[in-house]
Amino acid sequence: MSVNLNCKLSDRFLDSKQSSSQRQLAIALSANASLDGNNTLLNLCLVLDHSGSMVGQPLDNVKRAARDLVDQMTQQDRLTVIGFNHKASVVVENQPVDRTESIKEKIQSLKASGGTCIDDGIKLGLQETSKGKDGTVSQVFVLTDGENEHGNNDRCFQFSRLATEYNMTLHSLGFGDSWNQDVLERIADAGGGSMAYIASPEMASAEFQKLLKRVQSVNLTNAHLILQLFPYVRLAELKPIAQVSPDTIELNYQTEGNAIIVRIGDLMTDIDRVILFNLYINPSTFISAYPGKSDIPILSVQVRYDIPSLAQVNLLSEPEDVSLQLIQNFVPQVNADVQNHLLALAKYRQTQLAEQKLQQGDRAGAVTMLQSASKTALQMGDYNASTILQDNATRLQTGTTLSEAERKKTRIASKTILQSPKES
Amino acid sequence: MKNVVMITCPSCAHANPDGAVNCEACFTALPIVSTIQCPSCQADVRSDAKFCGHCGFNLSNILGDDLGKTEDEGLGILSEAVSNNLPSEVITSQTESVAVPSIHTTSSAMSNTLPNEISSDDSGIVINPISEFPTIPKFTDIEKILAAEGNEPSLNTPINNIFEPELDNEASNEKAAPMNASINSSTIARTQLQQFAASLLHIQTNLNIEIPAHLAVVHIGKPNTVIPPDIDVSGFPDSDIVSRIHADIRTEGGSFYFEDTGSSNGTYINNLPLSAGNRHKLRAGDRISLGKGDKVSFVFQLNT
Repeated sequence: MSVNLNCKLSDRFLDSKQSSSQRQLAIALSANASLDGNNTLLNLCLVLDHSGSMVGQPLDNVKRAARDLVDQMTQQDRLTVIGFNHKASVVVENQPVDRTESIKEKIQSLKASGGTCIDDGIKLGLQETSKGKDGTVSQVFVLTDGENEHGNNDRCFQFSRLATEYNMTLHSLGFGDSWNQDVLERIADAGGGSMAYIASPEMASAEFQKLLKRVQSVNLTNAHLILQLFPYVRLAELKPIAQVSPDTIELNYQTEGNAIIVRIGDLMTDIDRVILFNLYINPSTFISAYPGKSDIPILSVQVRYDIPSLAQVNLLSEPEDVSLQLIQNFVPQVNADVQNHLLALAKYRQTQLAEQKLQQGDRAGAVTMLQSASKTALQMGDYNASTILQDNATRLQTGTTLSEAERKKTRIASKTILQSPKES
Repeated sequence: MKNVVMITCPSCAHANPDGAVNCEACFTALPIVSTIQCPSCQADVRSDAKFCGHCGFNLSNILGDDLGKTEDEGLGILSEAVSNNLPSEVITSQTESVAVPSIHTTSSAMSNTLPNEISSDDSGIVINPISEFPTIPKFTDIEKILAAEGNEPSLNTPINNIFEPELDNEASNEKAAPMNASINSSTIARTQLQQFAASLLHIQTNLNIEIPAHLAVVHIGKPNTVIPPDIDVSGFPDSDIVSRIHADIRTEGGSFYFEDTGSSNGTYINNLPLSAGNRHKLRAGDRISLGKGDKVSFVFQLNT
């Protein structure tokens, strides 16, 4: 089992006459499954909201969706179910999925009542899940339908970060329209997972299945990208690193010496995770040192990762060098793939700025930003997202406010690609 | 001759460092202003321009024809772009310019010229630099055909008229180069902007001055080193009350606006003072007086 690493530059040529040039590097990462016979085991934890607002159809659908998940898992996989309202309790203790009927019965026993305290649910989920984390891929699904009125959001984010330290991944699912998209997004981003939106109760099962499919394809965990930059290369000052596919997440980084380390988390076998780096290159020192050379190396990439099924940790991939070609008469030759990644990030950032402006009361500014985001989506061929964003801009322009459901849809439209461009 | 000027992001106002292509904050593509020299009038024009904003010279077409020629550095950069097959705009302009001569030969060879072929010729402002290359076959034939069809717009008038009044020589010296160039281009290019043409009738001498149709902003005043006037009034009697930088006429969406650019003696429109910073939308028949006492006055006229 190894890592598939694919580096692409926004433009592989560099103007030798320009003192400072900006380039984006897109690194696509996935797990190479072909060499591996035994399947990676899943250690799944469901943290389910059963507060009073879930009464009736919502909770029934969530319980059914959870029971369906049980059927999809193998007997060696492990499952934990935590129920929470304003307090959290263990519904199904961490155990192998071999007695499915008793597990399903326990899930079915959940009753809707009480308030919402997400952090207690996450905390108990992490504690219980950690019992089975050796040799497995640990994943936590947190489902909620409301504001965290009995809890503390900052505590949620701390637990999310803690989860990544324990090498567990936290995914968040928002149910209905009254949850807080900022909180759930931050939980998922900090926890290295994804955020899903269950707009209506019937969609619960589909979203659970989608997420399960994703976590079942996780083969490598705790992946870190390690970049060694050459002295004439630097990262952009503002938010230089972000994941752009499958969804958009701003990533933090650490520096050790002149190495830049970014935690990526899980690597899937079927889906690439694409990380975009924003770099500046000042080639003058290189040119004066090696006047005749046309190849200018800018950095080397390494991946550090764990293989849970073989209980191996901190494996290092072969370093891969990335270089640019210096030319005299520079003409931009933009890489179309990287350009699309750029647009994905632009769409996300523009929508975020629009929301910030809206919160500051700058309605006109928000409209303009949403319109640019919509245009960006159009450029990527993501017509669905473009329509949603443009509709929002129009709504704001006519003086109406956005409904909660629309704001969630907007967030998802900005974060993911709703419609991939047709291959032509 | 390629200078890159970085600016703050037009979308989110984040200040980006030198060399940025996409804004660091919102990743909007930043407008990079790089300029080249117009091969005709040597003015600095943006490298993505299709026509020179000063003389109207067709930049895209000359590149298509001059593909091999790279003695001019500015040209070199752009023709490089063409040969490298990259920026889409340049590619289209290249194919455009290649396509045009073929249209010429067919339309001149065919006896029954179809109307849409004429119109495709007509719309091709691209003709103009070709005329400088006599190798292109039978250009004069098309000219005759066009003339015969009555499609030739006689738009060589507006700027010529400015030169007819007895403007003093040192005034015209400064603008002579670009003006001459623009006359050339407009006679050849047949820019069809005539519906917007307007003129100022000088009341004291009954002299009609066309407002140059190809300029978005027409400066009115007297010769100076800062903003050379497009309409020079220094030859008119009592012009001493007119400031060197007196007023502008702006063309926007087919309308003309008059604004005082900080003259010493003010501007009066229909005998009412036009305060500095205010724009007046001109209507036919408006009386414009530069300075006090109604001594240098014009009537705004639309030529339809």
